[in-house]
Amino acid sequence: MKDFKARVEDFKKKFDKALAGAKDGKSLQELRNTYLSRKKGVVKSLLEELKAFKPEEKSKAGKMLNTLKNHVQKKLETAQKKFTAPETIEKKIDLTLPGEKKYWGAPHPVVLFQQKIENIFISMGFSIEEGPEIETDYYNFEALNFPPHHPARDDWDTLYLSDDLLLRTHTSPVQIRAMENRKPPIRIIVPGRVYRRETPDPTHLPMFYQVEGLVVDKGITFAHLKGTLEYFLKTLFYEKLKIRFRPSFFPFTEPSAEVDIECLVCRGEDDKCRVCKGTGWKEILGSGMVDPQVLKNVNIDPEKYSGFAFGMGIERTAMFAFQIPDMRYFFENDLRFIRQFTLK
Amino acid sequence: MIISLEWLKDFIDVDLPPSALIDKLDMIGLMVEEWKEKGSDIILDIETYANRPDTLGHLGVAREIAAALGLKLKQQEWPLAEIEEKTSELCDVQIWDPDLCPRYCGIVVKGVKVGPSPEWLRKKIEIMGLKSINNVVDVTNYVLFATSQPIHAFDLAKLAGRKIIIRRAKQGEAIKTLEEEDVSLSPDMLVIADEEKPVAIAGVIGGLESSVQEETQDIFIESAYFNPISVRKTSKKIGISTDASYRFERNADISFPPRAALMAASLMTQFGGKVSRGITDVYPKPAKERTVVLRNQRVFDLLGVEIDAKFSEKTLSNLGFQVESQRKDVWKVQVPHHRVDVEREADLIEEIARFYGYDKIPVHFPPLRVPEPPLDQRREKIDRSRQILFNHGFDEALNFSFSSPEKEAQFETGRSAIEIRNPISSNASLLRTTLMGGLLDNIAWNMNRGADGVHFFEVGNIYFKNKMKSQEQLTLSLVTTGLVGPPHWHRKSEKTDFFRLKGTLESLMEYLNYEPYSFKEEPHTLFEKESALALVVKKDTIGYFGLLKKSLLDAYSLDEPVWAAELNLDALFGKPSQAFQYSPVTKFPTVTRDVSFIADGNVSFQDIQEVVGKLSLPYLGSFDLYDRFSGPSIPKGKVSLSLRFVFSHPKRTLKTEEIDKIQKKIISALGASFNFQLREGGRIDK
Ligand SMILES: [Zn+2]
Repeated sequence: MKDFKARVEDFKKKFDKALAGAKDGKSLQELRNTYLSRKKGVVKSLLEELKAFKPEEKSKAGKMLNTLKNHVQKKLETAQKKFTAPETIEKKIDLTLPGEKKYWGAPHPVVLFQQKIENIFISMGFSIEEGPEIETDYYNFEALNFPPHHPARDDWDTLYLSDDLLLRTHTSPVQIRAMENRKPPIRIIVPGRVYRRETPDPTHLPMFYQVEGLVVDKGITFAHLKGTLEYFLKTLFYEKLKIRFRPSFFPFTEPSAEVDIECLVCRGEDDKCRVCKGTGWKEILGSGMVDPQVLKNVNIDPEKYSGFAFGMGIERTAMFAFQIPDMRYFFENDLRFIRQFTLK
Repeated sequence: MIISLEWLKDFIDVDLPPSALIDKLDMIGLMVEEWKEKGSDIILDIETYANRPDTLGHLGVAREIAAALGLKLKQQEWPLAEIEEKTSELCDVQIWDPDLCPRYCGIVVKGVKVGPSPEWLRKKIEIMGLKSINNVVDVTNYVLFATSQPIHAFDLAKLAGRKIIIRRAKQGEAIKTLEEEDVSLSPDMLVIADEEKPVAIAGVIGGLESSVQEETQDIFIESAYFNPISVRKTSKKIGISTDASYRFERNADISFPPRAALMAASLMTQFGGKVSRGITDVYPKPAKERTVVLRNQRVFDLLGVEIDAKFSEKTLSNLGFQVESQRKDVWKVQVPHHRVDVEREADLIEEIARFYGYDKIPVHFPPLRVPEPPLDQRREKIDRSRQILFNHGFDEALNFSFSSPEKEAQFETGRSAIEIRNPISSNASLLRTTLMGGLLDNIAWNMNRGADGVHFFEVGNIYFKNKMKSQEQLTLSLVTTGLVGPPHWHRKSEKTDFFRLKGTLESLMEYLNYEPYSFKEEPHTLFEKESALALVVKKDTIGYFGLLKKSLLDAYSLDEPVWAAELNLDALFGKPSQAFQYSPVTKFPTVTRDVSFIADGNVSFQDIQEVVGKLSLPYLGSFDLYDRFSGPSIPKGKVSLSLRFVFSHPKRTLKTEEIDKIQKKIISALGASFNFQLREGGRIDK
């Protein structure tokens, strides 16, 4: 056994010496054969000797052999690296090589823009409400003061599922549901999918996203509507943005107002501007004071409470903000389109 | 509504430069969408609203401008060359249904020479985008665009029995319209009939037979008020919409028909006509005057600005309202008949605001008296999920909610799709019962445009009938195919596979704190056999994922395999996620033990997990599979598995012997359960 140990150590020294003298890959290969060959290598022949040992000695000797084997393997590996293709070991790493970036998924621009809008309103103390996309005629129209058979309904061209069920044409039904479920004060925005019976073209889609807002409390005035929407638009676009409110009509608000912002393309300087048709203005929001009949419909006394509501299309606003010429791009889900917005 | 500035001058003397006038119109709510010069005239395209039929004529727009500029409307005279015969003698008018026709006026013009219109009339008709037909028809259109009151001209000779009867159509009656279209009528429709048959569909379109032709000599002019709902229903039912029906269904000015009739008659005298004496005016129940009480205080309450009471009074009077002071700061306001939109105090306040100027209303911020409830957990979870998926390299898609019968047949979701009754196309006649259709479209779209790999997720509703009720279900779907990330010199291009998708879902469940969860092998219609797993949380299946069926890939012409997942987020988020609990971090070193086995190739990792789990090993922090391979160095039918166990103790350093003991336990348990062989040299202490 002692003899065995000495021999193992001797082999180790011999190996180290031989390795130090090795000059190329070929001599390394020879060394590997001498020591590790499965048929006649040094390690193999020593292993044969173990058979004669007593069990307790066997395990000790085995460990010794294992150590030798590991030593030889490790050293050979290290040496190998030195000899194989020494020209690839460069003095200096090419630091101009491109780094390895991680592929992050990109949010959809509509969601991105929606969240941008939501965050501004959250900062003004609004909360977010949602509601069903499949609605009844009552919530989508009647409760919002659209009488049956009134031509006002033509502006909200509707996809029907049955006599009474439809795909909501705006997120306004959620206003009604919120006012039924809660007592004022109410200060909410309602984002979501809405539907219109429109054939897709660059400025129309049968489905798009909307954000609506509703504030109901004692003493809410048109001045509050202006204050809220001006703050919102200036935050969304920029501080010096020109904004105007002009009279309009929605069945569920009275007085009603359309909100225009200055044309971001020509700033009112181009009579032939295609974006604003030379008017210098671009319609961005519909709004108004909640119609007293709408308040009555949800058992809120219009003599005690008042409110304002507003709504905007998300794609339309994003199109205007980024000068995107075609609304259909949003739902093609072309990666070259979607991934542009990651950093916006 | 097309408005000619020159035509406006018939009603009002306005001499503002066009740009100033346009600004003014915008700011009182008559938005000029476009305008162009035409000779010496300027043509405006004004946006009008469904509640303001009075602005569908030049007179109405002139009224608004007059109020805005403090001008008076010109009084128009309509001289008549009269004859002795009375209108009532020439034609007998009877209203049989006064609900649908509350007022009907008529007058006869005899001896008209029907022919081309004079220059002035033809020009006006052409400005409105119509083709000049003849002087009589052009006059009716002229009156409509001038005053917004539709009128109709009949050839008196063709009215059987010289009778006009306003009645409901009889079952089986039909009419050929001016546009030579045959329309069958039903009793819910109001018609103008002579003694024998219908001669016009009331408020919608005239009949061909009774229309004015070149040989016509005597004309019966109709100027009426029809029930707006009735006109709308009829117009929708027969699918014919005209300039007349457009105005009637918005509710016309019930006080106006006599004036319009006289105007038309007077104009026709220019073509040699002579007018019958005394207009026929059948108006059985004259409309009541509408009055609305207006309180000055409410003006302030609603607008948030103090407006001088005198200004309010003056604005309303300028618009034709009769304002009567009841007591201090309270008025009784009588609404003119042409303002069908004004019924309540708020409507009057809007009038005041419009002319006061929205721009002069101050800008305030609404005080926040009571805070709103905090953000809903569900929304937070959705957003967290999105972040996890971005991090795993999935891009976000949004697709239309529509589907088609073909698509639904391909996916066989087993859900009953909801039909759209009036779809835009048969490709979008259903609502989607899976998000997969849109996402496969998206893969095809991007692959066809040179993408090497597409990895999308979508969060959105699917829709289906559930026990006759329509249901919306928030769903998350993922698809992954092709290369992961663009090729790069620093690493090998990697193709996506099942385990990348599975790992993404595992991350999702872990970061959303939905542990424990498990997977169950289960066949599913979307996926290839033996290639799908169900994701189970608290005994409920939340969704499925796996390798998409070949037939689906073929349907979308996709060559590369696609792995996909669809999860029911309503079901998932309906379950409480695990509450977060802080656990102290041990100050003592952890001990890692790696163990490698040779195992039968068919042993499942889940079984190993179970066996290890049952051992309830003390101090075990984590346990993972970190290597798995088979090949020439491993016996046939076997695999090499390398497991890593990490141990720690909160209060002390673990002793080697302790861990040795545990490790033995693991080895013997796995050995006993699966006949595992410890791999030679596969045991390394760290
Ligand atoms: Zn512009």
